[in-house]
Amino acid sequence: MAMLFVVASGISATIVVLINLGTGPRGSSPFLFVVALTSAAAVAWSLGVDRHDTSRSERYGAWVRSVAAGIIIACSLAVWALQPSFINSVFATAFMIAGVALLAAPRIVALWSDLITERTARVREEHRAEVAAHLHDSVLQTLALIQNRAGASSEIARIARAQERELREWLFEGDAAPTTDCVAEIRSIAAAIELDYPVRFDVVAVGETPDDAPVALVAAAREAMLNAARHAGGEVSVYVESSARTVDVFVRDRGPGVDLDTLPADRLGIRESIIGRMARAGGTGSVRHGTGGTGTEVHLRIEEQA
Amino acid sequence: MSDPKLLDVVIVDDHSIFRSGLRADLDATVQVVGEAATVDEAVELIARVRPTVVLLDVHLPGGAGGGGAEVLRRSSGLLESVRFLALSVSDAAEDVVGVIRAGARGYITKGSSGRDVSEAVAAVAGGDAVFSPKLAGFVLDAFGAVAGEQSESSEELDRLSTREREVMRYIARGYAYKEVAAELFISIKTVETHVSAVLRKLQLSSRHELTVWATARKLL
Repeated sequence: MAMLFVVASGISATIVVLINLGTGPRGSSPFLFVVALTSAAAVAWSLGVDRHDTSRSERYGAWVRSVAAGIIIACSLAVWALQPSFINSVFATAFMIAGVALLAAPRIVALWSDLITERTARVREEHRAEVAAHLHDSVLQTLALIQNRAGASSEIARIARAQERELREWLFEGDAAPTTDCVAEIRSIAAAIELDYPVRFDVVAVGETPDDAPVALVAAAREAMLNAARHAGGEVSVYVESSARTVDVFVRDRGPGVDLDTLPADRLGIRESIIGRMARAGGTGSVRHGTGGTGTEVHLRIEEQA
Repeated sequence: MSDPKLLDVVIVDDHSIFRSGLRADLDATVQVVGEAATVDEAVELIARVRPTVVLLDVHLPGGAGGGGAEVLRRSSGLLESVRFLALSVSDAAEDVVGVIRAGARGYITKGSSGRDVSEAVAAVAGGDAVFSPKLAGFVLDAFGAVAGEQSESSEELDRLSTREREVMRYIARGYAYKEVAAELFISIKTVETHVSAVLRKLQLSSRHELTVWATARKLL
């Protein structure tokens, strides 16, 4: 279709030139308008319709536009050269400008649509920040209040806490891809266990967290956290300290404590899943009583083989 | 008039629901003598009432938009007699480090129980610093105490001593001052001294990493 317009434009332009060559400018004006209209139509068609048609190549559109612009410019130059009158120079200038505009049209269209996209994105981001600020001020406060009014290990506090965590992740991490480092994994384990047991994990991480923490370390930490949740409950502290060569994980509860020596052999939890697993992975796992006879602390440590 | 045995406390928080909840939860040892909801109100109230301790929310409307840290800066003349304990729902490092460096004596999350808050108020009133495990973790990170890079600095303010580092590590592991003391075979008083020294360093250190780190990192 764009091609048809181009052809029509070319024919009218030829007629204009022929009329000007023969009888003078009289009678050529209608054809001049046809040239302008058909060229504009060709460009409009190629930008508005063909651009979204994937079977047409980019080159085809560019070709249509340059030819249309070329016809307009050539035609105006020819008229002006053959009949240099005042009115013709005005027409020629106007046609030249139109021709250049036709060439620049795709750029302008692209710039415009970029601008719109950018503005939409900015509005969305602003809206999100607004919502985040509001939620931060009101909903997080309310969730905190529910937790300390309901008692740390009550069902309601657990639900509020789980909700708070989800909201916090959404607020502070936004659209960033979820990280899969060892601390992130431990945090999500803590969240999962909190849903099932009356326990509250306080996870503190220090140092650069390695992305490729050994599976055994995370698995043993999970076991230690599960043990703390089952046998102690309440507040449990998890501390992860990572340096360039070692990763230490401490899981500390405030429960009645365990005695490894009096533990029945079938209690595989600590012996096998924590200490044994760490040993097999080339690290160490140890369990000790807290000071004053209360609480248990599991210490996991793994060193990078250099 | 207020009972001399009670600790006079002002609660600064823009949410009335939180203020009333906290007030109902606080121990009998603590007496709430005033409440404020904005930066300007807080500055005015604190200067007028001169409480022993101010429970200060990190995020506050009003003033120049500086929140809790702005209240601290504008009340800096009173820091000798009035102690500030920061309260926050946010564990974001820049919030916490910001109020501590502006002069708060400690930081506690809003999820803490009334008893915990009361104990923290008593500790702050007694001149001690209140460090939550998270704050201890921040400190260890901020002073590069784990990566082993802290020996580079010769400035005493910019580094933690071995003992201070040990104390911070135990606190980050969830140990109470009493338990830290038992672990390290030192008195509770000594633990408190170490913690206060760390607080002072946190407030005064010009360690470049401290500020850069605090803004670059948003810990949950």
